[in-house]
Amino acid sequence: MERRIGVYICHCGLNIAATVDVKEVTESAASLRGVQIARDYMFMCSDPGQDLILSDIKEYRLNRVVVASCSPLLHERTFRRVCREAGINPYLFEMANIREHCSWVHDDGATEKAKGLVRAAVMKVYYDEPLEPMEVPIVPNTLIVGGGIAGIQAALNIANAGYKVYLVEREPSIGGHMIQLDKTFPTLDCSACILTPKMSDVGSHPNIELLTYSEIDEVSGYIGNFKVKIKKKSKYVDESKCTGCGLCFQGCPVIMKNEFDLGLADRKAIYIPFPQAVPNIAVIDKREKRPCEAACVDACPIHTNVLGYIRLIAEGRYKEAYGLIRDTNPLPAVCGRVCYAPCEEACDRGQIDESIAIRNLKRFATDQVNIDELEVPQITKTGKRVAIIGSGPAGLAAANDLALEGHEVTIFEALPEPGGMLRYAIPEYRLPKEILLKEIDYIRRLGVEIRTGVQVGQDISLAEVKRDHQAVFIATGAHGGIRLGVEGEDIAGVIEGIRFLRAVNIGEKISVGKKVAVIGGGNTAIDCARTAKRIGGEDVRVVYRRSRDEMPVSSVEVAEMEKEGVKIDFLTMPKHFLSENEGLSGMECIRMKLGEPDDSGRPRPVPIKGSEFTMPVDTVIDALGQVPETEFVQELGLSLGKMGTIEIDHKTGATNIEEVFAGGDVVTGPASVIEAIGAGKRIACSISRYLRGEPLEVEEEELGEEKLSKRDIKDLQNRFPTQKRVEIGEEPIEERVGDFREVTLGYTPSEAVTEALRCLAGQMEGCIECHECERRCDAKAIDYEMKDEIVDVEVGSIILATGYQQIDPSVIPQYGYGRYDNVITGLEFERLSDAAGPTEGQIQLKNGQPPNSVAIIHCVGSRDKNFHEYCSRVCCMFALKFAYLIKEKTKAEVYQMYIDMRCFGEGHEEFYERLSTEEDVKFIRGKPSQVTDRALTEEEKGKLIVTVEDTLLGSLIRVPVDMVILCNALEPTADAENVARLFSISRRADGFFMERHVKLDPISTMNDGIFIAGCCEGPKDITDSVAQAKAAASEVLSLLTRGKVEIEPIVASVNDEFCSGCGLCEKMCPYGALSLAEPEGVMVVNQALCKGCGSCAVICPSEAISVSHFTRLQILGQVEALAS
Amino acid sequence: MRGVAENRDMKTMDIVNPISEAAEAIIEAGGETLKSCYQCGLCTATCPWNLVRSFLIRKLIHESQIGLLELESDDVWLCATCGDCVERCPRGVEIIDIFTAIRRIGTHWGVIPKALKTAMGSIRTLGNPWGEAREARADWAKDLGVKPFTAGTELLYYPCCTPAYDRRARRIALATVDILKKVGVDFGILGPEENCCGESVRKVGEEDLFRSLAQANIEAFKRHGVKKILVSSPHCYHTFKNEYPDLGADFEVVHITQFLAELMEEGKIKPIKSFPKRITYHDPCYLGRHNKIYEEPRRVLQGIPGLEIIELPDSREDSLCCGGGGGRIWMETKKEERFSDIRIQQALEVSAEVLVICCPYCMLNFDDSLLTMQKEDVLEIRDISELVNEVM
Repeated sequence: MERRIGVYICHCGLNIAATVDVKEVTESAASLRGVQIARDYMFMCSDPGQDLILSDIKEYRLNRVVVASCSPLLHERTFRRVCREAGINPYLFEMANIREHCSWVHDDGATEKAKGLVRAAVMKVYYDEPLEPMEVPIVPNTLIVGGGIAGIQAALNIANAGYKVYLVEREPSIGGHMIQLDKTFPTLDCSACILTPKMSDVGSHPNIELLTYSEIDEVSGYIGNFKVKIKKKSKYVDESKCTGCGLCFQGCPVIMKNEFDLGLADRKAIYIPFPQAVPNIAVIDKREKRPCEAACVDACPIHTNVLGYIRLIAEGRYKEAYGLIRDTNPLPAVCGRVCYAPCEEACDRGQIDESIAIRNLKRFATDQVNIDELEVPQITKTGKRVAIIGSGPAGLAAANDLALEGHEVTIFEALPEPGGMLRYAIPEYRLPKEILLKEIDYIRRLGVEIRTGVQVGQDISLAEVKRDHQAVFIATGAHGGIRLGVEGEDIAGVIEGIRFLRAVNIGEKISVGKKVAVIGGGNTAIDCARTAKRIGGEDVRVVYRRSRDEMPVSSVEVAEMEKEGVKIDFLTMPKHFLSENEGLSGMECIRMKLGEPDDSGRPRPVPIKGSEFTMPVDTVIDALGQVPETEFVQELGLSLGKMGTIEIDHKTGATNIEEVFAGGDVVTGPASVIEAIGAGKRIACSISRYLRGEPLEVEEEELGEEKLSKRDIKDLQNRFPTQKRVEIGEEPIEERVGDFREVTLGYTPSEAVTEALRCLAGQMEGCIECHECERRCDAKAIDYEMKDEIVDVEVGSIILATGYQQIDPSVIPQYGYGRYDNVITGLEFERLSDAAGPTEGQIQLKNGQPPNSVAIIHCVGSRDKNFHEYCSRVCCMFALKFAYLIKEKTKAEVYQMYIDMRCFGEGHEEFYERLSTEEDVKFIRGKPSQVTDRALTEEEKGKLIVTVEDTLLGSLIRVPVDMVILCNALEPTADAENVARLFSISRRADGFFMERHVKLDPISTMNDGIFIAGCCEGPKDITDSVAQAKAAASEVLSLLTRGKVEIEPIVASVNDEFCSGCGLCEKMCPYGALSLAEPEGVMVVNQALCKGCGSCAVICPSEAISVSHFTRLQILGQVEALAS
Repeated sequence: MRGVAENRDMKTMDIVNPISEAAEAIIEAGGETLKSCYQCGLCTATCPWNLVRSFLIRKLIHESQIGLLELESDDVWLCATCGDCVERCPRGVEIIDIFTAIRRIGTHWGVIPKALKTAMGSIRTLGNPWGEAREARADWAKDLGVKPFTAGTELLYYPCCTPAYDRRARRIALATVDILKKVGVDFGILGPEENCCGESVRKVGEEDLFRSLAQANIEAFKRHGVKKILVSSPHCYHTFKNEYPDLGADFEVVHITQFLAELMEEGKIKPIKSFPKRITYHDPCYLGRHNKIYEEPRRVLQGIPGLEIIELPDSREDSLCCGGGGGRIWMETKKEERFSDIRIQQALEVSAEVLVICCPYCMLNFDDSLLTMQKEDVLEIRDISELVNEVM
């Protein structure tokens, strides 16, 4: 077909015509091959200009058009439309840029260059072929990245129009920087007050799917059809269950800096960053796996949060440590002294070097509080009455828990004072009575009535007790002494152990002879021996029928006893006692050897025939053990087991009689304090359930003891250098055996902290997995096993609103940030000034005092070639706002140290004037050189001195102030480069995302379908961010309304004849548009992904690929025309 | 070149007309960044002169920008080219270049302080600023058995005019030679064939003289086949390393601190004695700020047994100039305006017994201050080479 080309040369006023001789260019164009008409005109883009082309097309039957004017970025679209209107395929149009590429950049030779450019365009159009644009449908969802004000606003606009939005935010809550601000300039609106309504709209909007604590992992696809992988980081909290009640973080023992308050306040490892967070869901900050198995917690019968309180002690938070212990253990001070500490045996550190001295640390924590001063919580009464018989550890523990539940608890105690074995068996030197009494008094303060001297079965019948209460808990312990049952046991001088200890404990006059033998190898035996030593026994011996290894007590206690001079006769058993003058004179014993194991698993002692011998003794104390005394329960018909123990359902503590429960030693026979407390707590729980009418049985998790593997131990040994436990101080032996003073002294704070720091769980950052939150969470929302999740979404368009960060001013050392306490950043000031912030809005120095003078330094890192050349745009105004707030709250002198005041925008200039006139703020024009504390005069002492030239005065001044606020620059986020790469968009030299056109298209990027809004595009204030967000939303909505999008048909295609399937092009293609087709063995182009860049065409060794509209013929034709 | 209205004497109103070509002239003469200045005054507030007297660099630059600079003003000759302001300038204004450009215009019109004129004359005729005979240049090494540099000698030691002629500073050269001999380095000197390096000559605006000195030196070095030069002065170091290559030089240059650090690391210097004193180190502007050499001298000092090293309040990038750069070493500074006095005071405040330097200009200035402040009994000024030499 004949080429009939029209060429139009634009003057663009004088933009082109001043340097290019347009007439000459027109004349030259007229002579080119195929050109039917060439004209010049003042403004080709104007309506008359366009009409000119239209009428020429008709008149001269043109079928191709060239316009030589400005950049095709501006008017290619216009002239293509004109062509289409006249019936010419828009791709048979070419534009020669003789303005930006020619008249604006050349003086001489511009005309020649213009002629060349026109020649080339004519040649190109000569070879152009008609093309049809492709249409693709648009997925009606939108992805918005970043939940600051821009992301929030854009999301709301799109969602309100009825379209689905995925809003992805990296932090646990949306709100961005704006929610951290106190007030906004210049209206001084409360930032949170104007933002939170929008945040909560986002949170509850049916069209917005909010993905917080999430990041973008992968983006593929093209406008209208993006596929995005979103990594949802595990919050370890089930979002569907969490109610945001905050109970979890009250209990969390791990204290960390709150990022929201820029470290000016603390948060816990489980936290909600701020009260108005959206979503209002807790997050666990878990950073690493705990190095140990926390076997201590599992080993403890009441699962005390050992690692939690040790962590608190390590941080010097002793009272909080006590609180955490007290939450599970009603007798912490008792257990801190006499618990047999199964936790220590289980402690994983014990496998590395030595276990943590957990009991001593517990004792330390309890030593730091005065129990009498502890506050009693508010308790709502249930009106239910519970009787507890026995005030030993089991009874007290149950009373404590039941009282906290709101039940009315009465304890019946047969003895004159409460405490059971704690009071009457454990000697004073191990557990001072005063301490026990304090803990019991606290339980009384919870509303528990303890009726002492009332023996059930004697003073009041059990049936009566049962009648007056809705539930009864029998916890009478095991007070009946077991006798040897040998000849002579009734001789005066042979005493039963528990009676002996009780007598000493209540201060009865009881004496022992010089030679004392204690029969038995358990706790009672040791207590008896050490007590005997203290009341006059000189030669005190423990006589035990097995060997040291079988003693059912801790080796530490045996060692303590031996240190105090008590001897032990192992493998020895009394046969009978000898008397002389009605008194005890000796004891015939027999030696034993160890035989086969018995029921208890210990080797059975077997007498050695003929080994009898006589031991001269003055006093013998039987300490063989105890049995419960349970005759009184028979009136109700409770079933009893052997040795008189009460039989119960071990899962619930229920006896065979309805509403009667039993637990502790009365059920198990003599056991430890902590086991009794455990029983009391379990049964309290059962009773509560019973009283609420719930089923008694609860599923309890089986906890196996977890040991570390050899390999774990090796790794841990490499990580944690050997460090022995801190030994606890003791009273000197010679002195202490003379009286009943407490033997151990307790840790000093520094000892305690050193010991606590040995805990492996205390060595990690973030959550230590102590499960305290899990215990407290009523909604059962905590899930430690939660994993990161990848969410796949398909979206039609994407808005990036990833915001900014502020430069760390410590890179400018002369301003002293990080070195001087009272040099702070603007954002830190916002938190200080915020009524909901760490100081409740008090603007104060680190020492808590209000400042008398404040310097505000502008342009810190902005407008500075050493850091950022650009102006951060918001600092002048927020600096004025700071001045206002300081003046309002402190009356301090305020100095603004600025270079230029840039107060454009509505109300800004007025605010500036108000600050200068009404508020008496001092403006010093100059950039300070340094902030120092080196005083030259008396007035400067203790101040921060800012050195600056007041450039308006032309003199150097030193301004002494109390506080310096640095207006530090806004800069691209640290990961802006990665984000740009992920979304295939460009960044400017300053690092912010690049817009398609700085003036006319500030929202779009070079990647179609991806838009930018807010500070990720450059520093801007809230007003501008909101405007951009709305603009971006409008771009998205216009795409969505169209429902489909035209894609330029400028794409690559492969000539199957020539393609060898080598795959070089696939490697070159930045868009993943090329792939190998099997089984044909040739490459194919996904034309929807192809951007027509031409990389593949260039690399293809067999020239099998060509790009439409830029074929070899078309390009070479242009080159030829330029060269001619 | 200051534009003055006819009624300049009228006290009521100081009306002046700017000379529009002035800024262009300064830019032409090397002050290319003049117009970048946005008048924030950071330079003024940074400049050490303002510790002792008023010196409004910003104002001077503004006057230059609009053509109101008074060439005869003393201010033009104050800048000691310490570079502190340049490091920090937010607009990247090369303030030293601007001063140099202004001074070039000044010397072109014959406006130059008398002291500088004398020094320049001496350099022009004798190759040194001190008015000493060219032939006497190697006198310091007379009895040391130092060989003249010949083809094939490994290292040229270039002591700088100051240690070569000045009796106080001579100890730098002596200590250096001692060390070189002990280590067994093959080195030589050029003696009378050397000329002043010209670094400060260039800074006072005598560009032609600088170029002729540089040419003469480069020719001498080439003639003798010099490949590597050891210098005692950071000023020589700076110009040899950064300015001579543009004029055709092609040789390696090391400052004594770099050289000593390397020898110590290689184990060629093994201290056998201890120097049990509390010392502090002064970063010379031309070693530190101008050439970013902060670590090597510190490494050398850390290698000397017995030293207790304390940092001065202004150290490294913030080092306080001794006042000797930019030609100031040849000019008289009023007693109450010497920053070297403040520096000595700082050394005394940290209770140093020795102030360690590694620049001959710093040595002269600090020695003078010590004398006038009458503190010789509490503080010593020692070159780093002296310390190393003493413990070897």
